[in-house]
Amino acid sequence: MSEHKPRKSNEVKMPKAFGWMAEYADEQNLLVAARKVRDSGYTQTDAFTPFPVHGIDEALGIKPTILPFIVLCAGFTGLITALLMQWWTNGVDYKYIISGKPFGITPASIPVAFELTILFSAFTTFLGMIFLNKLPRFSNPVFTNPRFDRATDDRFFLYVNAADKYYNRESVKELLAGTHPDSLDEVLDDSTPSTLPRPIVLGALLLVLTGLIPAMIVLNMRASFSTLPRLHVFFDMDFQPKKKAQQTTTVFADGRSMRPQVKGTVGRGQLTEQDPFYLGYDPSKLSADDAFTNVKYVSANASQDPASKDPASTAVPATPAQTAPPQGAATPAPVLNLPWVDKLPASIVEEGNIEANMKLGKLKFETYCAACHGYGGFGDGLVHKRADALAQGYWLPPTSMHIDRVRAQPVGQIFHTITKGQGKMSSYASSLNPAERWAVVLYVKALQRSRNANIEDVPVDSRSALDNELNAEPTK
Amino acid sequence: MNLNYEKASIELPASWKALTPVLAFAGVSCLIVGAFCFLFLAPSVEGDKTLAFRYLTHSYLANFIYILTFAIGALFFILIQFLTRAGWSSSIRRLAEIMMMMIPYLSVLFVPVLALLFVNSAELYEWNAKEAPNSVIAAKTKVFLFKEFFAIRSVLYFAIWTMIATWFFRISRAQDESGDTDLSLVRQKWAGPMIMLFALTLSFAAFDWVMSIDADWYSTIFGVYLFAGSMMAFFGMMVIISISLQNAGKMQKWITVEHFHDMGKFMFGFVMFWSYIAFSQLVLIWYANIPEETFWYDVRLKDNWQYLSYGLIAFHFAIPFLGLISRHVRRHRTGLLFWSIWILVAHWLDMTFLILPNAGPATTFPLIGHLFGGVGMLCIFAALFILRASGVPLVAMRDPRLPEAMKYANPIL
Repeated sequence: MSEHKPRKSNEVKMPKAFGWMAEYADEQNLLVAARKVRDSGYTQTDAFTPFPVHGIDEALGIKPTILPFIVLCAGFTGLITALLMQWWTNGVDYKYIISGKPFGITPASIPVAFELTILFSAFTTFLGMIFLNKLPRFSNPVFTNPRFDRATDDRFFLYVNAADKYYNRESVKELLAGTHPDSLDEVLDDSTPSTLPRPIVLGALLLVLTGLIPAMIVLNMRASFSTLPRLHVFFDMDFQPKKKAQQTTTVFADGRSMRPQVKGTVGRGQLTEQDPFYLGYDPSKLSADDAFTNVKYVSANASQDPASKDPASTAVPATPAQTAPPQGAATPAPVLNLPWVDKLPASIVEEGNIEANMKLGKLKFETYCAACHGYGGFGDGLVHKRADALAQGYWLPPTSMHIDRVRAQPVGQIFHTITKGQGKMSSYASSLNPAERWAVVLYVKALQRSRNANIEDVPVDSRSALDNELNAEPTK
Repeated sequence: MNLNYEKASIELPASWKALTPVLAFAGVSCLIVGAFCFLFLAPSVEGDKTLAFRYLTHSYLANFIYILTFAIGALFFILIQFLTRAGWSSSIRRLAEIMMMMIPYLSVLFVPVLALLFVNSAELYEWNAKEAPNSVIAAKTKVFLFKEFFAIRSVLYFAIWTMIATWFFRISRAQDESGDTDLSLVRQKWAGPMIMLFALTLSFAAFDWVMSIDADWYSTIFGVYLFAGSMMAFFGMMVIISISLQNAGKMQKWITVEHFHDMGKFMFGFVMFWSYIAFSQLVLIWYANIPEETFWYDVRLKDNWQYLSYGLIAFHFAIPFLGLISRHVRRHRTGLLFWSIWILVAHWLDMTFLILPNAGPATTFPLIGHLFGGVGMLCIFAALFILRASGVPLVAMRDPRLPEAMKYANPIL
């Protein structure tokens, strides 16, 4: 037909038919009708009931879904994904020791594998159900019949779809009529216009455009420049009536906003800065010059230059051993010279305290120092032994307490070493309070002396016991 | 609904009753052959005399716990059916009720274990030695693990289970006569408290009887582990009994494919649950990696026990998991029967894994002896089941939920 006919707007059109829907008062009638329809060979059928009806699947002849198999495949995919991911990340790509566990797939990988199996399965179940049910679908032709509203209340409906390959309008009607339904209606296409009302479209458009305004403003701001000063929303937070360090002020005559310490006062934490007990040296004996030069470590690099003499070592001739280069070291260790305390504080060594302090010193030494320096102070602690066994080349052995350089050190310097650390050794000030540090010094001095003692150092009544022990030794 | 029934179809087959003495004789013979393997063959062929008695005691306990778990599973099944007011299970519930009523019978088989303690043997429970092997065990023996208290607790567990089982069974039998629905309601009311009591006693029984073999090892999840295996094995046993009864021409109307499907689902679920619990126990110990916990697995991963331990991952989890995952298998009687037997074997291996490695390395004759012991115990279990079931209708005919059980259908997925 080539002749073009203009379509008349008032033409009456028969709405499209989608099938037949029968209504029943109870589920028994529905089941009987469903079986009858099933046995007649129709497969494109559906039932709508206010509650789940046992046996309706069988009565409608619904085939089992393939969803479980899809979910099983998805579950295995999740399992394999998780295992591969963990094997790759921790076993191959980025080996990282976690709690000393082996790399790759371990029992710790199982929870992740389990979770991913469940995750993949759950998503597949949900999305697969949506897909297999041909959802989302905004409307179904059966909704056009106002009686259908009671499908969620107290009525049971059986629907034969016109898409069925055996569908014949008259014969299906006859078949359903034979099941004695309460009503039998043809499911017709919705006759109401499918276009949205104009006001709704306009309103939605307006909303979308309004919603774009803030985004547009932000984009404009980001792309344009302005010479105007920044907007201060909280003015009194941006400009606070206070002075910062290094600023000037008119309040004080000297114009400084940072105030010097008031004469005759001691600030918090300043007390220990003046007391040899906390320092290991006497700050009052530091000359003005010493104070500036000596508080620094002389760098090891500087002393490599043979022309420059170590200025610090000559400044305090009282400690000549310090200038001697440490044995076995390629470069001389940094040397520090200060007016060291050369006697242990009276409170540490006074009668009645010294025994307890020696014990305390031993305990603390063996807790904190012996790991590197060894129980005898020979620099042969467990850490050293382990590092030495690894033979990595860059290990600097811990200092022995019994070499001449250390033996010659005044007690104050040993105290200072514990307090501030030396070389690779870090500060132990946070682990040991000053009295404990002095107790450790006391113990170190005792260790040193024990290696260089003669028979006069042993009390007279103990000498024979010592002799016996020495004589007995070879026979052991 | 018309529940016309023939009385004969819900009675035990006469041929089974005739089989009882045979089963009992076979069971005892197997136990004797097993003991012979342990005490004579193992020492003379393999030359280790000191371990012979150790193996015997451990094997006996493992096989005893193995058959006890069926009855324990049955007890929990009954409780949970009433707690959830389940209707589907009404027609098969009597079988489980008979199984739970075997607990008093089975408690007699525990007497040798207690006797072992009171002759001061430390072969099975090392904490029973005069001098505790180490300080950890010594501390436990002072307050908890000593033979008098252990015996009191064991008696208490059996007494509580027997009490619960008897009470539920009696009411069930009374309902057979009267058909009074109140008898269902009163059981529903008490199922909750009883289940708490059951959980506590089972957990402690697992600690006492099985976990204390390694007295310096502990796992707080151990009771749940044993419970998970018990339930799995119970459903396996239920399927086997149901199919055997139907093959003998009984219960054919009462146990439908829907019931088999449900028991299969439970079996599948508890395979998963056992794996979950077993893995939870393992992963914590593996990750913490401290010697006082890991040694338990260490014992089970050497001296040939490693084949069993690793084998459990496949036999107790992966293979039955894949085997039971399909509903077509669960609705297929032969398929389900195959997996039920599989699961009973897997559960036996699990009990072996829990107990036997403590006796010593896995060698041929002790394992043969253990196998004989297992078969013997199963025969005794069967004989006791028939003994307990005779004269009892196999379906609770006047249970108000019976029509629901007969109408019940699994939805088509």
